[in-house]
Amino acid sequence: MFFHIVLERNMQLHPRHFGRNLREHIISKLMKDVEGTCSGRHGFVVAITSVENIGKGLIRDGTGFVTFPVKYQCVVFRPFKGEILEAVVSMVNKMGFFAEAGPVQIFVSNHLIPDDMEFQSGDMPNYTTSDGSVKIQKDSEVRLKIIGTRVDATEIDKNISQSRPKWDPAGSHPSRFFCIGTIKDDFLGVINDPTTI
Amino acid sequence: MSGEEEENAAELKIGDEFLKAKCLMNCEVAIILHHKYEQLQQTSDDPMNQVSQVFEKSLQYVKRFSRYKNPDAVRQVREYPSSLWKYQLAEFELCVLGNLCPETVEEAIAMVPSIKTRGRAHDDEAIEKMLNDLSLIKKFE
Repeated sequence: MFFHIVLERNMQLHPRHFGRNLREHIISKLMKDVEGTCSGRHGFVVAITSVENIGKGLIRDGTGFVTFPVKYQCVVFRPFKGEILEAVVSMVNKMGFFAEAGPVQIFVSNHLIPDDMEFQSGDMPNYTTSDGSVKIQKDSEVRLKIIGTRVDATEIDKNISQSRPKWDPAGSHPSRFFCIGTIKDDFLGVINDPTTI
Repeated sequence: MSGEEEENAAELKIGDEFLKAKCLMNCEVAIILHHKYEQLQQTSDDPMNQVSQVFEKSLQYVKRFSRYKNPDAVRQVREYPSSLWKYQLAEFELCVLGNLCPETVEEAIAMVPSIKTRGRAHDDEAIEKMLNDLSLIKKFE
């Protein structure tokens, strides 16, 4: 689910940036450092929408860098266990399928796919009902329920964000959300909505 | 991750921070991200290079899964609970309904079990009326 929340961060700036454009520097560094990152608590930071407040800078002992506390508003995507949402299938194999909902990847194991759907291998691997009426394959849209979430502290992964910062001692560990889901409950599964434009 | 075990969106256990936060439907996120993308287009030749993969994937996702395309309709859905609904829906619940657009009461309760379980006296008739109103907004958008 997407949320619009207020977050705070301490931005460290080298004195070379002090001057007329100090505020722009802080904001642009904030965007570079934060957009595209993920934390266990807030999920993925999708976009910063505004900067509410930049506090007074404090000179750090021994280094000359200055720390500014910045309060900003942003859109985040945070998946919750028990949440039902729609996703696009990205890969199908005999263990189950992977689907993507925005920045998060969800795995649905074959144990949590209805029993009347069988895996079919081939050029376009898929799960199909015995009468062929319902098929799940790459790019299918499915409605699923998240039954578990996990956050991994991980190496910087190019797949998640291309605008990743260099290691920032004041920042959080880079991390990713993984989810597992089910389509076995009522009203879950392939979306066949003729009214969707 | 000590709080994770207790989290359960089906019971609206999503933590105080998110219960109080502003929840956004896909159609609302689409408006916000589009706006940001247009701003980037004005200041750079290649906006796609400026945004993270998270932004790109999110934008593609909300464009694909927005139920309401017209900003007026989006606003009507957002303002629905305060004007017509006797019992307060949590923002999270409203957004799930706005994203999934269930057609029957049974489906709505399956999508947002917390409507029924949090001890509020939402009866089936009231839920059905709400679903009808939301789908009217979509019909006439």
